[in-house]
Amino acid sequence: MLNAMKDSGVIADYALFGAVAQMRYTEPVATLDADVLVEVPSAGGLNPLAAIYEFCADRGYQPEGEAVRVGAWPVQFIPVFSPLTQEALQQAETADFEGVPFRVVRADHLAVIALSVGRAKDWARILALLESGSVTRDEIASLAKRHGLSDAWQRFEARFPDEF
Amino acid sequence: MSFDVQELLRRQAQWQKSRRALSWPEKIRMAEEIRESIKMLRSVPPEDLPEKHQPHPPTSPAE
Repeated sequence: MLNAMKDSGVIADYALFGAVAQMRYTEPVATLDADVLVEVPSAGGLNPLAAIYEFCADRGYQPEGEAVRVGAWPVQFIPVFSPLTQEALQQAETADFEGVPFRVVRADHLAVIALSVGRAKDWARILALLESGSVTRDEIASLAKRHGLSDAWQRFEARFPDEF
Repeated sequence: MSFDVQELLRRQAQWQKSRRALSWPEKIRMAEEIRESIKMLRSVPPEDLPEKHQPHPPTSPAE
């Protein structure tokens, strides 16, 4: 559906992020929904997600709270909201999901987006990515610095100096 | 019989980490199962949950 949405021009691009994307690298984790970063071509409207909801409804995918139910998953569409998420979307990788290509945010961007949000579960996400070896502390530090998140990274390093 | 809890926990952690090597679709399917379990637990009324373990018997105010 995401690829069809992109082909139809409803979105300019998309990439999975959050826990579903994280699971490419780590062990399975508990999550209630799937997060999708989207770039909407015309950001001028009051609701940049209206066309997405309409596209989904036309195909029988019904809203469920803030999300849209697609198969087993409530899917939450989140427009790019910062230079960091814009870059994450542009540099996303294409992963194979049983023959279907999916755009997925890279591990280093997942870690730094988590750093920017900064909840306990986001710090746990960074630790899981570090433990998986999919990203290094140096890579996170470099990306965090480029996006003005050096202070947040230093706080993380002070809290978890020895792990991985 | 000695029972090494630390060793048990170490093996459990190792087993959990081994799931990292599963394919992405397989991990997503496991996450779906985890999510359904969470939803099921949340749907159980508190009175139907097993009683919490009481490490110490409650003390009567009269004592």
